[in-house]
Amino acid sequence: MNQFKALLLKEYKEAFRDKRALMVALMMAFMAPIMIVVMSKIIIEKAVDQPPVYIKFTGSEYAPKLIEHFKKENLLSFADVPEKDKAIWDERNIVINIPDSYAKDMADGKPIKVFLQADFNDKAVGPPVRRINGAVRDFSLSIGYKRLLLRGVDVRLLNPVKLVEQDTAKPDATFILISMLMGVYMMMAAFMSGLSVAIDSSAGERERNVLEMLLCQPVSTLKIVLAKLCSASTISFIGVLLVIVLTTISVGFVDLTKVGATFSLDIVKASTLLMLLLPICFFASACQLFLAFQTKSFKEAQSTVNMIIAIPAFVPFALMMMDDRPQWLDWTPIAGQSLIIEDIFKGVEVNWLAMLATSGVTIAVTVALVLAVANKLKSEKVVMALS
Amino acid sequence: MKIMWKALFTVTLLSVSAASSAENSNLTIENCHLGEIRSQVKCGKLVVPENYQQHDGAKISINFAVLPAIDNSEYKTPLMFLAGGPGQAAVELATGLNRIFSEVRKTRDIILVDQRGTGESSALSCDLEDEESVYAVIASEINEQDVKNCIAQFKGDISQFNSENAIRDFDEVRKALGHKKVNIYGGSYGTRAGLVYMRMFPESLDTAVLDSVGPIEVPIGMFGQSGARSFRLLLENCQKSESCHQAFPNLAQEFQAVKARLAKEPVTIDIQHPRLGTPSKFVLDEVKFTGNLRFQLYGVEGRSMVPLVIHQAYLGNYQPLIGLIARTEGEQIVYTGLLFNIVCNEDIPRVSEQMRQADADNNFDGKTSHLAWDVICPLFPSYRPSQEFYQSVTANVPTLILSGDLDPVTPPSNGDYSAKTLPNSHHIVVKNASHTVAMSTCASDIINEFLTSRDPKALDESCLDDVPEESFMTSVNGIQ
Repeated sequence: MNQFKALLLKEYKEAFRDKRALMVALMMAFMAPIMIVVMSKIIIEKAVDQPPVYIKFTGSEYAPKLIEHFKKENLLSFADVPEKDKAIWDERNIVINIPDSYAKDMADGKPIKVFLQADFNDKAVGPPVRRINGAVRDFSLSIGYKRLLLRGVDVRLLNPVKLVEQDTAKPDATFILISMLMGVYMMMAAFMSGLSVAIDSSAGERERNVLEMLLCQPVSTLKIVLAKLCSASTISFIGVLLVIVLTTISVGFVDLTKVGATFSLDIVKASTLLMLLLPICFFASACQLFLAFQTKSFKEAQSTVNMIIAIPAFVPFALMMMDDRPQWLDWTPIAGQSLIIEDIFKGVEVNWLAMLATSGVTIAVTVALVLAVANKLKSEKVVMALS
Repeated sequence: MKIMWKALFTVTLLSVSAASSAENSNLTIENCHLGEIRSQVKCGKLVVPENYQQHDGAKISINFAVLPAIDNSEYKTPLMFLAGGPGQAAVELATGLNRIFSEVRKTRDIILVDQRGTGESSALSCDLEDEESVYAVIASEINEQDVKNCIAQFKGDISQFNSENAIRDFDEVRKALGHKKVNIYGGSYGTRAGLVYMRMFPESLDTAVLDSVGPIEVPIGMFGQSGARSFRLLLENCQKSESCHQAFPNLAQEFQAVKARLAKEPVTIDIQHPRLGTPSKFVLDEVKFTGNLRFQLYGVEGRSMVPLVIHQAYLGNYQPLIGLIARTEGEQIVYTGLLFNIVCNEDIPRVSEQMRQADADNNFDGKTSHLAWDVICPLFPSYRPSQEFYQSVTANVPTLILSGDLDPVTPPSNGDYSAKTLPNSHHIVVKNASHTVAMSTCASDIINEFLTSRDPKALDESCLDDVPEESFMTSVNGIQ
């Protein structure tokens, strides 16, 4: 035990010695909350805001009620454009032509064509055009309804079938975007934060000839590997913890209620997440150690190990795309966890059996990897990078 | 028969035109879907004594719903909604209220309780199969025996279905849900309920919003003068609007002419049923004509069509009026049993002959709005509230009072009554709004601000200036 303690202490010392590398490794954790806040702010603004749109009208005098209705929807006349925005809206050049027969056609009940001219390829013109469309449709419908009503028709006849959506998510369901990003980020953090430590303590040590010295000591290779594993996973766990804590704090700065959503991580949810992700931290470090020891040089180890950080980003995405996923995916590492994380955020009752199963499978794979590495270290091929 | 009541009742409506629990074995609460609300909400039932003086006696189950706050990270006092009528079921209005109070719901639970006698709280309604067409029925054909038969079907001791017991139920629900205090919003009759709440349980209330007030001092049911005032404003606004005046230069005279014509002889015409498309009869007399017009005065949408409807009727075309009737045909708006049970017992007995005559002395619909009470109240089992019930309410709860100037049933003078006796209140009159201001204007945002600041006198009311003036349809095709 003493030997293991000494080894672990050594690994921690080395891991924390290179402050800059550590900072880079934990960047992930700091980036996540910022990204989440920025992205949700942008999305919320787009969903809620109705910025003014300036339209060049011709014939607006023929349709005062329509123009009034536009005004209510913040679709304004080009004459009202503030000086500083003038150039932009002149450039966008959205034109509405109202025919001079408008009033007469309205009185006669004839259909009226109002023309909208714009560059429909211009991306900035898209949202205003959609809003103009909606405003005209509403205006047209409200007159249409009244026309029927005043002819003695029950206007409810126009809606024979109405679809009422009933969302079965719990009342406290969270903002889906943040939940999705959080899930991915936490997995990524587990994989990325411990990465540099794992590479350094394996391929790095080998290149610095420290590994050879270690193996000369009378300790079992298993203890050496375990010490390296613990050190790397500690960092990776710190990364996960930071993501959860910082995101919870930073999300407080976004007014999610604007889009009718909320996000809160109570202590129960947070601890469930940590419990779920702890095996993943060990699993990630074990994978990284295993791969790093397979390579010939530090550089090769870096590029090889870097490839596997795509896994936690890719797996949840792939799961989302799959409509009918096979049952066994529920138990595999990463896939299983990301499904449970989804449940936690959705507020659905967590399936503890599935959680136990994935954690079990993850730990089993981790143990196998550790044993394999320990076994490998007995061969001098690995030590001398001859394999 | 139910429809017949409705024929009467369009003449007399006083209503809203919009559409974590403590340990308690009497309480059940579960997630549910309600109306057209997309997300899940909570539905519950609370068993309360039918008679609060006899706790071991009969029980009734009170139905309620909670629209949970979207952001419940910090506890904010919920808003309890008191429905109008009397006789509207709050839970049935959930869809509309969810939309109107969306700003409030972001941070506060909204509690909807079906007043006893409405909705799923032992509703006072009849199962009658012989529903006659709302188009063919006129008020003078109401059959007393039918009403008696209906009343005979009510279960329980309906003298217990009064305003004070309703408030006891509301406060029980508050307690059962574990809230120390609630805010209340009452619209129309809901303000009467709110005032009773303020008197009976002032310590349960954080704030109160009274929208279109029915003060305890003013008996519900005398709507002649207020209807005439609202109609007069409509005529004036039409005159002021160039296009309306041009299209209908003699509107007031035309209205009187139609009324006189129908008074002399009701009109019967063959129509296609507006919904079924089958051949039907349409019968129109003076009472039905003014009654349906009065119903339109409740909201600006309906008001915009009134001049045209009058003018067309004057020309002998009743189709526009039929269309207006079709807008609400077949819909349960209030539980009429509770409506009459409360008004006939709590309000009408206080109306003196002098008041009745003063109210009938108007040139809009005369005493038409009294007709329903005259016919039905004598048939209803009676109870009488105590004299204290009629005292002015003086509770020191922060109170926001709202009135629409165009309102045909609760004119701004009603709001003044309550403002006088409530020390911490402020009365806002919205010039271009009609009945229940919060349902159609930005007043719902002002309410949200008030719930937080709790200071009725320092609210930002500027958005109400933007409520557009009345505008009118000038032809059946709807030009300006």
